[in-house]
Amino acid sequence: MCKRLLCSIAILSFSLSLMAQSSSAPKNADIDPAAVAALNKMGTYLRTLGTFQVKSVQTTDDVLENGQTIQTNGVIELLAARPNRLRAEITSDELHRLFFYDGKNFTIYGQLVNYYATVPAPATIGELIDKLDEKYGIDMPLVDLFKWGSQSDSAKDITDAIDAGPSSIDGTSCEQYAFRQPGLDWQIWIQLGDYPLPRKLVLTTTDNSARPRHSQLLTWNLAPSFNDAAFTFDPPDGAQKIAIAEIKDWANDQSQTKTGSSK
Amino acid sequence: MNRSIQKLLSITLVLLLSCASMFAQRGGGGTRTSVNGNANRNTNVNSNKNVNANINHNVNANVNRNVNVNVHNDVYVHGGYYGGGCCYHNNTAAVVAATAIVTAAVIGSRVNTLPPACSVVIVNGFTYQQCGSTWYQPQFVGTSTTYLVVAAPR
Repeated sequence: MCKRLLCSIAILSFSLSLMAQSSSAPKNADIDPAAVAALNKMGTYLRTLGTFQVKSVQTTDDVLENGQTIQTNGVIELLAARPNRLRAEITSDELHRLFFYDGKNFTIYGQLVNYYATVPAPATIGELIDKLDEKYGIDMPLVDLFKWGSQSDSAKDITDAIDAGPSSIDGTSCEQYAFRQPGLDWQIWIQLGDYPLPRKLVLTTTDNSARPRHSQLLTWNLAPSFNDAAFTFDPPDGAQKIAIAEIKDWANDQSQTKTGSSK
Repeated sequence: MNRSIQKLLSITLVLLLSCASMFAQRGGGGTRTSVNGNANRNTNVNSNKNVNANINHNVNANVNRNVNVNVHNDVYVHGGYYGGGCCYHNNTAAVVAATAIVTAAVIGSRVNTLPPACSVVIVNGFTYQQCGSTWYQPQFVGTSTTYLVVAAPR
């Protein structure tokens, strides 16, 4: 009796292991657990940062209709004081924008056009990021820095993970990792030592045949000096208040714009 | 006769140029700029919207660049509009852009640049641009600025 039970358990576990191999083994074989662990360690560390200042020197490919890619340059300067204050400046070939968030309001300001718009904001940076994205279609710059290590990061989407070895960024020793997830290949350089910060990020959009790239080179200041005024918008002379269009109002307008501009 | 031929030629020219301009437009968008960004969220699955917005945004960039150079003066007069980028010194594009503006002045439509000779009018604290009989409300769409054609406010 006992023997039979043992035997059936053995058969069961053997068949289970076969099943496990056939279903998940090929996937797991492409994931280096050490690479995922390094990513998680970085995310956990990022979550511990109360205030930080980070500068991203970045490039983004635009794809022309003929499939040619054109690289544009940009710089992001971001100052965050968790949980509810943030300031970001976006300077690119195409625009200049300032974001202000003081825990109560969010303001977007275009210095060159001298327009600004202010809307009531939720209580935390995390909620603000979601609201801007979902309601207004505004991407928070460097959003990954706020997502890694949180429950809404994309770790579950990763299908491939490798450790690409040591690499130096701006003279700092880093370890380079490469990940794949649906539609996206990405590489990250994580600083070695006590401060596992992301120092460089390269994204390749793989569901576009032109495979356009985006890169960020990150410089960190973990002890920034600032005062509360940094997070509140004070309209300069001549600045004009305008509205932010909600996403739900885009589609309608867009179709009309299309017909308008194609004539 | 000569005149009508001229007219035909100029129309053909404009058509040709607008074709050329379309080829030069940025059609892509679609470059992911974050690992954990929109793609995670359901909103972005409705990301048809986002993707379209990006495409428009990119087109905007191009139109802005062209118009900046040519319509600089007008553009500066009303509100210091400066679309970013710079400088395709290309008169032809202004013709095309201007055509687009004229045909787009339907209430509810959006344009990326204003026609010349507009004046700023503030109504209820919000800025409007009155250009002849057409009223525009500047708005942020995502991080881009656009002008929504509206009925005369107040």
